[in-house]
Amino acid sequence: MADDKDVLRDVWFGRIPTCFTLNQDEVTEREAEPYYLLLPRVSYLTLVTDKVKKHFHKVMRAEDVEEMWFEYEGTPLKWHNPIGLLFDFHASNSVLPWSITVHFKNFPDRDLLHCPSNSVIEAHFMSGIKEADALKHKSQVVNDMQKKDHKQLWMGLQNDKFDQFWAINRKLMEYPTEEGGFRYIPFRIYQTTSDRPFIQKLFRPVSPEGSVHTLCDLLKEMYPVALPSDGEPKRYQVVIHGIEPLLETPLQWLSEHLSHPDNFLHICVLPVPSD
Amino acid sequence: MAAVTETWRRHIVGQLKHRDLNQHHRFQDLIRFYIRLLEKTSLTKGILSCSTRQRSSDRSSVSSLLHQNNDLKKTTGELAYQVLELQQQIKIKECFLEEQHARLVADGSRLEGALDARRALQRRVETVQEDNGTLKRNYDELLELQRREEMKLREETVRGEGLLEDLIHLKTQAAAHMNSHNQRRSRAREANLQKELQTAARSKVTVDSCSSAPTSRSTSPKSDHQQDSTDGGHVRRFRSLSASSPRILSSFRDLFDRKRRGHSVCSLEEDLMFPVRFSSSARVPVRALQVLEAHEQGINAVRFSSSSQLLATGGTDREVKLWEVRSGSLTHRSTLDGSTEGITCIEFDPAGFRILAASYDKSALLWRLDDSVPKLTLTGHSRKVTAARFTGCLHQVVTGSADRTIRLWDLQRAACVKVVEVSSYCSDLVCCENSVISGHFDSKIRVWDSRALRCVQELLVQGKVTSLDIGSDHRQLLSCCRDDCLQLVDLRGRSNERVCFRADGFKCGSDSTKAVISPDGCFLAAGSADGAVYIWNVSTGNLETRLPDRHSSSISAVAWSMSGEYVVSVDKSRRAVLWSDI
Repeated sequence: MADDKDVLRDVWFGRIPTCFTLNQDEVTEREAEPYYLLLPRVSYLTLVTDKVKKHFHKVMRAEDVEEMWFEYEGTPLKWHNPIGLLFDFHASNSVLPWSITVHFKNFPDRDLLHCPSNSVIEAHFMSGIKEADALKHKSQVVNDMQKKDHKQLWMGLQNDKFDQFWAINRKLMEYPTEEGGFRYIPFRIYQTTSDRPFIQKLFRPVSPEGSVHTLCDLLKEMYPVALPSDGEPKRYQVVIHGIEPLLETPLQWLSEHLSHPDNFLHICVLPVPSD
Repeated sequence: MAAVTETWRRHIVGQLKHRDLNQHHRFQDLIRFYIRLLEKTSLTKGILSCSTRQRSSDRSSVSSLLHQNNDLKKTTGELAYQVLELQQQIKIKECFLEEQHARLVADGSRLEGALDARRALQRRVETVQEDNGTLKRNYDELLELQRREEMKLREETVRGEGLLEDLIHLKTQAAAHMNSHNQRRSRAREANLQKELQTAARSKVTVDSCSSAPTSRSTSPKSDHQQDSTDGGHVRRFRSLSASSPRILSSFRDLFDRKRRGHSVCSLEEDLMFPVRFSSSARVPVRALQVLEAHEQGINAVRFSSSSQLLATGGTDREVKLWEVRSGSLTHRSTLDGSTEGITCIEFDPAGFRILAASYDKSALLWRLDDSVPKLTLTGHSRKVTAARFTGCLHQVVTGSADRTIRLWDLQRAACVKVVEVSSYCSDLVCCENSVISGHFDSKIRVWDSRALRCVQELLVQGKVTSLDIGSDHRQLLSCCRDDCLQLVDLRGRSNERVCFRADGFKCGSDSTKAVISPDGCFLAAGSADGAVYIWNVSTGNLETRLPDRHSSSISAVAWSMSGEYVVSVDKSRRAVLWSDI
């Protein structure tokens, strides 16, 4: 459907206006100007912040520079999560642009993974794809692909080429029609109220009785608290890509259209802001 | 279901749009401008820092300035050279431009010419279209005309069919009429016979001898017949005895009659009556005594009997009519029918009891004058019979036909006794004592020995021979040809002197036009295609008289009475005219 293609495009080209400011404690030769950037939601922080790094290097002495990391309101941002997820999870109800503090010292080894080069991001990204395909097709599709197809997926993401990426990703989204969907839906549910990084379980897109599973069914199974109970005001938002899909949306369709490039459906469950 | 599907999908699409509006579109321009601004400020900062660094090192600046000055001079020279080069290039370009302009002008004029040609062609197209229009109109008119003509043709065909039907109807009526006529006649004869028989039965008969068996009913008819034919006395006895059974008798009589007719055509007493030929002086007719419509269709033949008291006419209507010639008028006496096609030729026998006719139905017919049923029908020719004549010999007739044969018939046996094949259509025949003379379409008159039918002489004439006539003294032969010339040939001796007779306006109307010699041999008479009778004087060779205005169509035959008193002419439009000098 034409609408579905538009949805894919909108998901791919989703942007977040961001203001990078240098941490006050950093030693500089002169005052550092803040740097503004539109970050792609589906990409990774360390993949798109070369300019930020260059900008701040200008005002710093080379000997003061260590590995760059980002922090929002005291929370280090995990670069291995997609940017959209980071924003939705940490800052979805704050004022735009998203203000991120840039650090070049005191790397929080306990909270963050090191990211010495893009190949680390690529490895992480590909492992995500493989994991998702293991859930969807028992890894059959990704294993049948050639090396260059894997490379094309990565290059598509790295260079922000929608058509290049989807030419290959399309195959990962196929499924036998008689089964009505993937074997299992690759999803992760992120929550603010728990220390667990995310919920991830096996969940089929179609119930044993043959009816289609919806987002509501998934939450009922994984996180029943998130569902609004009768007569009470809504307590939780279920956010994917910065929007709240209706709970009756079929899970299979969501997985095909609202998944991140790593083929996972990253769902944030956030408490409704109390202002 | 579909509506529900649409709802969640539409919701997602709407939300995404809303999200992009809030987070993306509002900020993208702002951020772009900020980045640009940032770059510019950093650039100016860089330059400023550079200049401050230069000011600090004054010494080196003079030499560097000199160096810069040299550099600038060099670049000025280079630039001047470049200017020259560019000017040259401009000149070249201008030339090129001029060329282009000239070409443009030429093209413009060419375009103008092409436009003119196009306009001319358009005009021609218009005229041709107009012509086509007129042609089309003409064609339509012609088409209309054709349609009308076709309609007319169709009407005509329908009318033709109607006429054909009428004709067929009339034919069947005529046949029915003929049948009823025959029936009536046979019934009348039967009635007559009955009456005779009754009178015979009533009359008392005295039987002298009682030798014959009274129970003659058992006698076989054949033996009776034989007896009858041999002995007259037996006949009487037979009649008287069988009077009690008239029906059987009548059937016998019938049989007997038929046999007589079939085998012995002429009774002896008829044949004994020989003609007495006399030649009274002919008188040239001057006016028409009577004009009458003698037949229902065209008349082909006319003939006087030797006594001059009877006239016979034969026509395409298949009938031979007998007329009494009395005191200057013709009175219908009887009609002889039996031919199935038109009559072509008629002749009375020399004694005046019988009449012989040739017919289109490939036969010749013989009637007795008192019986309208033909006594004899001579069949054998394969095409129409054009002439039938009594020969000088007893019981013989000779016929000529379009099948190129001449046949000799024995009337007693009613059979053809001789057939001669000739190379041409025979149109007429005449007979004299020992010879038969025939006229042909190959412009030849042939003389035959009448016994052996061997050709003894051939006379050449100028055209198709349409008729022949022989003088009563058998010395002169008249032939009429299609070259509009009558020729009189002297049959005496070997010389065969010929005299031609022509006249202005005389035209032989058909292939069977018949001309005659007057009984005294002094005049010739012939009918012309213009409807006038022409009479020539033999002794002077000039036209004696011309009798016009009585016929409306081509005259087919003329006849001159033996008494010399009357001439009768007949034409193709049913009219017969009796001429005389009275």
